[in-house]
Amino acid sequence: MLSLRHAKPRALGFVRRNATKQVALASTAADADSQSSGEPVTLQKKQSRAIRTRRPRISLQHPREWNRPLAFGVLPAFDEALKVIKEDSMALKDEVKALEGAIAREKEAPQPDQHALRVLEDKLRILEVQSEVNFPQVRWKCANGMADMSKAVDRHLLEQRWRKEGALDLLMERIHQMNVVPDVLPDIHPSLDLRVNFPRVKSTTGPQATVSKAVYEHVEPGAFLLPEQTVEPPKIYTTVFHPEERLYTLLMIDPDFPDETNQTFQTYLHWLQPNIPLSSVSPSPMPNLNTHTAYIPPHPQRGTAYHRYTILLLPQHSRLSIHMVAKDKRAGFDVRAFMEQHGLDRNGGGGAHMWREVWSEGVPAVYKDILKTAEPKFGRMPRADRYGDFRGKKRYV
Amino acid sequence: MSVSVLKLNGSPFQLRGLVTRLYSTRKGEVSTSDPQKDNIRRYLYPPNIRNKATPTGTWRPDVARALQRAIPSVQAHETIQRAWLLHQRHIRKKRDAELQRKFNCMRQAMQELEEIDSRLFREANKQEDPRARSLVEVEALKSMSEPEKRAVESRVRGLFPRELRIPTDTPPKNGWPHEWRAFQRPLA
Repeated sequence: MLSLRHAKPRALGFVRRNATKQVALASTAADADSQSSGEPVTLQKKQSRAIRTRRPRISLQHPREWNRPLAFGVLPAFDEALKVIKEDSMALKDEVKALEGAIAREKEAPQPDQHALRVLEDKLRILEVQSEVNFPQVRWKCANGMADMSKAVDRHLLEQRWRKEGALDLLMERIHQMNVVPDVLPDIHPSLDLRVNFPRVKSTTGPQATVSKAVYEHVEPGAFLLPEQTVEPPKIYTTVFHPEERLYTLLMIDPDFPDETNQTFQTYLHWLQPNIPLSSVSPSPMPNLNTHTAYIPPHPQRGTAYHRYTILLLPQHSRLSIHMVAKDKRAGFDVRAFMEQHGLDRNGGGGAHMWREVWSEGVPAVYKDILKTAEPKFGRMPRADRYGDFRGKKRYV
Repeated sequence: MSVSVLKLNGSPFQLRGLVTRLYSTRKGEVSTSDPQKDNIRRYLYPPNIRNKATPTGTWRPDVARALQRAIPSVQAHETIQRAWLLHQRHIRKKRDAELQRKFNCMRQAMQELEEIDSRLFREANKQEDPRARSLVEVEALKSMSEPEKRAVESRVRGLFPRELRIPTDTPPKNGWPHEWRAFQRPLA
């Protein structure tokens, strides 16, 4: 593997490069010029030992134990580094123990100082992470998909990876470039990694034309999907970075639903599921998402431009009781009013995702089977024929 | 790139770092009788062995192996980097803590001085103007020659000592200057 290998972000579907690179070293004896007589002229055989450029398939499904990358004595700097890290970790662990004692004593005091307690607890969390974050085995496990979400260090490392190595940046780029941010909400600041999986496009010819098991594939934010792919609700995977359980509301909306009467666009509610309990150890994909306001598949109308379908996961302060929205009342949904009504704070974090869709042959089926209404067709009004009176009449009499 | 058409050791058409094999000609056809024809042949049918990097660096097949030799393990490299930064952080924190302690001691001392003697406290707080000249100095300057005046004006208290000897690899030719005396700047 090249040394430029970084921990691959799970959310990004990078195309795998070629497995091996054949490096041929063919330097013959006649290479050396008379001027470069300092270098010894050696006759090397053609070496084509391949340098593997693909990452090994290590994950929770194919786990592997961590081993030292280099044996003892190969690189003295590495052995020294491990010693330094170990000493630092032990010193920090002693500090952690002392701090835990201080917190316990503060809590037992007759009038515990809340501010001081919070400061101590923050420091404890930082020290816990710092005492383990430098270990190569911990970093290796997190980089290879074997993180233990009940440990603060692993959560911290995964969050850093999500934030710094491009996954969050890609999502925010797509959200801002496609103007989801001013149209749906004034601003979005995700605090958890939300990934959406839809089934792959089914080929209409060949042996796969018959019913076969749908293979769910990760959707890159902003990518185009076919309405045929989105008939069933997606599988939603989350990486949550807080250990305690908090409640979230799932919202799926289409801000580009046409509003004929006002000659403009309105927001259509496709899916609503409140009171979803999420913590760093909750099951992934999220279960039981279709029990409140049922999922209506996206149906971009014929003649309209592409529709942006946005999934939001908004944090709640407490359990909410929200009325189910009927099938015919889905259009004209006001996201900002909904959030204000139920006290959902968009600055409190949450998750977001979006993709785009355009009309295709699968949309009439949605109108016929699920919506049970006539399919509209949008377009320009036909132009008035200026010479309609004169067509067919004799011109030169 | 030096181009020598005929080499002493006999193999023709050697460019620096690249063996030119003319695949355009058959095995026995390469001849050294007509160098012009051979030149023309070389430019018409350039060599095409792809085993070196291109001149402008658009294709570098040698980089992977060199990098692998230099940095055999990413994990080891990152671990060493983290340990080194950790070590530097410890040193920095120690240095800052020591500086903070000294500053606090100084501040405590000044507070006590203020309580004890306010005049000395004010004197201690005065900022020194390095270009200030006392009356004695001004009087002495009037009776000095130009070089002496320059010497007085350029030697400022707190600046790097001009007479400091720059360390050298070998000792000075003239040995130790026993007769040297420090220039006394007239003070108040």
